[in-house]
Amino acid sequence: MTSADILSLLPLLVVATTGVVVMLAAAFYRNHRLSLILTLAGLLTAFISLPFVSPLTPRQVTSLVLVDGYALFYMGLIFAAGFIVALLTYGYLEQWDGNPEELYVLLLLATLGAAVLVGSSHFASFFLGLETLSVALYAMIAYNRSLRRGIEAGIKYLVLAGVTAAFLLFGMALVYAETGTLAFSGVIAVAGGGPSLQLMVGLGMLIVGVGFKLGVVPFHMWTPDVYQGAPAPVTGLLASMSKGAMFALLLRYFTPVMALERQGLVWVFTAVAVLSMLGGNILALTQDNVKRILAYSSIAHLGYLLVAFLASGPAGQLAVAFYLVAYFATTLSAFGVVTVLSTPDDEAESLRAYQGLYYRRPWLAIIFTIALLSLAGIPPTAGLVGKIFIAAAGVQASLWLLLIVLVLASVIGVFYYMRIVITMFRRPEADVVQPSMVRLPRAASVVLGALSVILVGLGIYPVPVMRIIERTVARLV
Amino acid sequence: MAEVPTQYGIILAAILFSLGVAGILLRRNIFFVLLFVEVMLNAAGLAFVVAGARWGQADGQVMFIFVLATAAAEVAIGLGLLLRLHHQFKTLNVDEASDLRG
Repeated sequence: MTSADILSLLPLLVVATTGVVVMLAAAFYRNHRLSLILTLAGLLTAFISLPFVSPLTPRQVTSLVLVDGYALFYMGLIFAAGFIVALLTYGYLEQWDGNPEELYVLLLLATLGAAVLVGSSHFASFFLGLETLSVALYAMIAYNRSLRRGIEAGIKYLVLAGVTAAFLLFGMALVYAETGTLAFSGVIAVAGGGPSLQLMVGLGMLIVGVGFKLGVVPFHMWTPDVYQGAPAPVTGLLASMSKGAMFALLLRYFTPVMALERQGLVWVFTAVAVLSMLGGNILALTQDNVKRILAYSSIAHLGYLLVAFLASGPAGQLAVAFYLVAYFATTLSAFGVVTVLSTPDDEAESLRAYQGLYYRRPWLAIIFTIALLSLAGIPPTAGLVGKIFIAAAGVQASLWLLLIVLVLASVIGVFYYMRIVITMFRRPEADVVQPSMVRLPRAASVVLGALSVILVGLGIYPVPVMRIIERTVARLV
Repeated sequence: MAEVPTQYGIILAAILFSLGVAGILLRRNIFFVLLFVEVMLNAAGLAFVVAGARWGQADGQVMFIFVLATAAAEVAIGLGLLLRLHHQFKTLNVDEASDLRG
């Protein structure tokens, strides 16, 4: 391993070191603020190191990790998400009587796992990154040990992730038995020479595993329960970082496979995309719980992303990257609003808790409205621009069925997003017990404001982000 | 010593894997569910070893060690959660310990 190799792994090393430092700091001197500051400093350093690593790319570091523009772009997105979640967590846990410090260690571990995942080019690093992410997430979901639903959600996620890992591993083993290499590139050499049953079953099991992790229909059953049971900032992390990293990996592994024109695979992904878009949006209509609504909405959004994935080519890559940026900002801002209204023991999740929010906390209501508009894809927000890119990529690849479903699903989506918005702007009934007026944490408020500015900014002027995406992600194809 | 054909090994692993899936679907006790997750993970590990043997590489066995290590981490948290579950719900039955619905 040369020094250039180590240098190109710098972002990962910084995050890993920060995790250890925060853990040791918590062991010797428990201080919530210190843990937060160390975490933020580590994530910021890792983020700042990305442009310095960039000139060294693309670089294959051992056979495990491929550090290229694609990996660096998604790492940046992941570090930013970690940074935001850390800030949201601070306000959320400030008044809590448990120990908050370990959550930051877990957050850093999850960030590390996700970052490894987007850089992996080998089944071993894929698996290790995934497990680092998952194991950290179990503990984060069940972090509030005194809460029944937290424990229940943690167990559900644990069993699900264990099954997922087993499916992925078995799929990898079958592909390996066929190709003789654990590197991602191995499948291309063999898949060209006619399909074998073993390879197809292996790829199928990989799809099942990835599908569970992404929470797309028909692998979505766990999503609403886990989203509801997990602490609000952790839910935000689950929805953004965990799914985003997995999607980036799906793109990296399956894009070359799809290029081999396997009609079967295209049909499978098309079916999953259609079911996710429709299923997610229709199931969300019947919900009265904001966290569950957002869970179903995330299922639908992964469906939209699959359309861009199926479109493939540079336009598809571009659309996925931009949509993920918009989706991260939107999701984190929506769950951020839920977070600042919640405490660890009493989450603001029922729709009633949001009734008349505009009259109590006008800014918060406006921020939430912007996030919901972006989720629904209404101008002038990032969500709309993202959807336009996806639609453009779809048109280029003439995926008409998927485009029709996309439009239909978006229209259905508007109903339940608007339902939340209308609830917030409706005058509260006199007999409704108002939730106590908690003081808004300062850091979280600044973050939420910034996210809203980003959402509207990207909606009006997306060019700078497009430039960055073109310079990094587009190199994959 | 005669070589064991790769196919046999893969089929054995597939049978173990299916047993694991069946166990998770049929058993309602969380302890057994965790146990069957382990069965599935180890079935995948066996498949790796068999596949590695086919190509005469150590990679399959290395992956198996990774599987063991991460499965241990998973079980450590799993058993911790199991204790909390029992503490909160006074049962290990996953159907009874289910508040989240909608």
